[in-house]
Amino acid sequence: MDIDNSIIRIENVSYFYYDKITALVDISMDVKEGDLFAIIGANGCGKSTLLHIMDGLLYPSTGNVYFKGKKISKDSLKDKDFLRYFRERVGYVFQDSDTQLFCPTVLDELLYGPLQLGINKDVSLQRAHEIMDMLDIGQLEHRQSYMLSDGEKKKVAIGSILTINPEVLLFDEPTNGLDPRTQAFVFDLILTLHDVKKTIVIATHDLSFVNELNAMVAVFSEEHRIIKMGNAEEILKDEALLLKANLIHEHKHYHGNKLHSHLHSHYLFHKHDY
Amino acid sequence: MKNSIPDFLLQKHSSVGNIHFSSNARHAYLDKGLAYISHVLKTGHEQIEFANKDGFFQRLSPQTKLLFLLFFIIIVSVKRDIISELIIAVFILGLIVISRLNIVGLYKRVLILGFIFGFLVALPSSLNIFNHGMIMFSIVNLSSPYKIWRIPIPENIGVTRDGILIIVMLTLRVINSLAISFLVLYTTAFEDIIKALKMFKVPDAILITITLSYKYIFIFVKTVEDMYLAKKSRMIAYQNAEIRDWIVNRFAFLFRKTQKKYEDVFKAMSSRGFLSDIKLYSTQGLNKIDWFSGIIFLFIGVIVVWI
Repeated sequence: MDIDNSIIRIENVSYFYYDKITALVDISMDVKEGDLFAIIGANGCGKSTLLHIMDGLLYPSTGNVYFKGKKISKDSLKDKDFLRYFRERVGYVFQDSDTQLFCPTVLDELLYGPLQLGINKDVSLQRAHEIMDMLDIGQLEHRQSYMLSDGEKKKVAIGSILTINPEVLLFDEPTNGLDPRTQAFVFDLILTLHDVKKTIVIATHDLSFVNELNAMVAVFSEEHRIIKMGNAEEILKDEALLLKANLIHEHKHYHGNKLHSHLHSHYLFHKHDY
Repeated sequence: MKNSIPDFLLQKHSSVGNIHFSSNARHAYLDKGLAYISHVLKTGHEQIEFANKDGFFQRLSPQTKLLFLLFFIIIVSVKRDIISELIIAVFILGLIVISRLNIVGLYKRVLILGFIFGFLVALPSSLNIFNHGMIMFSIVNLSSPYKIWRIPIPENIGVTRDGILIIVMLTLRVINSLAISFLVLYTTAFEDIIKALKMFKVPDAILITITLSYKYIFIFVKTVEDMYLAKKSRMIAYQNAEIRDWIVNRFAFLFRKTQKKYEDVFKAMSSRGFLSDIKLYSTQGLNKIDWFSGIIFLFIGVIVVWI
């Protein structure tokens, strides 16, 4: 495995919740600097758990995780200098924005990360305002997060990570439950961040999202293993693989007045014999 | 969007301030919180695992187990001699063994709770202040007897023989009651307990409240776990005041979330035809092993009462 420009390296990682429930089995992968990386798989296959492990929130039951060659473990993150080094370089946008937003107002939320990292108040405030301008959430500055819509919450959650200016951004189901306009906004934002050399890792089961991002893809099976890695084009044309991973399915639907069923993805595969 | 990207986001590394961290990161309260949450969830999973094991008690119907529970709790409470309590303790241990439960884990809980609610609660009654009798060993010798309000304090304060018997008796009762309760709880799936309670005419409103509360515990715990992780992902150091603010803020959040959840649950119930009467599907009847075991339990119970 080439580790020269590897930013996150996962080595034979397995994870069991409460020592009982299998979440990951023997996962090995390399995320390189500047990668746009998608982890795809059905619900419950372990995508979010892997992101948690990448962010040092959970520690593998077996195997190792490295960030820029340094091992991420309970012990290494007890060292405050290393913890700070790690946290300012890796940001995690949670699937449920509600759990991520814990400060009194949107502004406090955006300031939390930089102030934690010891960035002075003026610089932090400037960052917060620049991010609010960028995400077009300036009007929410003094609002409480629970009063926001889901789309606004997602923007604030992303903003609260961007003010840290991490090198790596981990997104857990970033478009889940959002309206089409906010989905498009998040999509554009991710591409823009990738364009400015941020490393992006996304966990999703949204194939159209993966297709449009043209990401490197790791496909998870329902047995919690990686069954294939490759570029989006190669992965997404492999119907047998996607069927095995429970990412496409066969179901009934109408075309005009004709009810029929065939292998079906709402985004990619919609092939008819006639 | 690139035009509006702030300059600081284009920098390779974060610019950081001059604060120097020299000590280890203090995450104890977060790690402890997460460990406790894991423990709660693990306990729930363990209960499901034990209930699905192929053991003796798992094969019995929930009605039989609840009747057994009631019958033996009453016997444990009415018996007034240590020998009977010891016989019951051995009998329960035997049932736990043949039900393939984790004996060490189960008795660890039973003994801790038995120590607190049996031994410690009963401890003052061992003194001759509350129970007169022969002093087995003396604790304090006062210059003269006196009264505190209306309670006479003897000159020689000590532990009496009767007091020790009361402590042993009460502790054994608590331990036996707990062991019986854990035996039933660990070998019965939660939904089966609810259905069995329905057979005993417990009102449906109470049963549905218990069911919803039980299920919500796991949703609630998962939400709390996610909050802890989200906090951890952005935290380096903290001050106690900040932590207090965070905890208060999260209390408020959980309260709102709970309120929203029960409103949603009520809507979901209404949309499926809920008016005011709650109707639960009741469980199946008893089979041969239930009758056979029931007779054995009754026989042993009668013997214990008789001796």
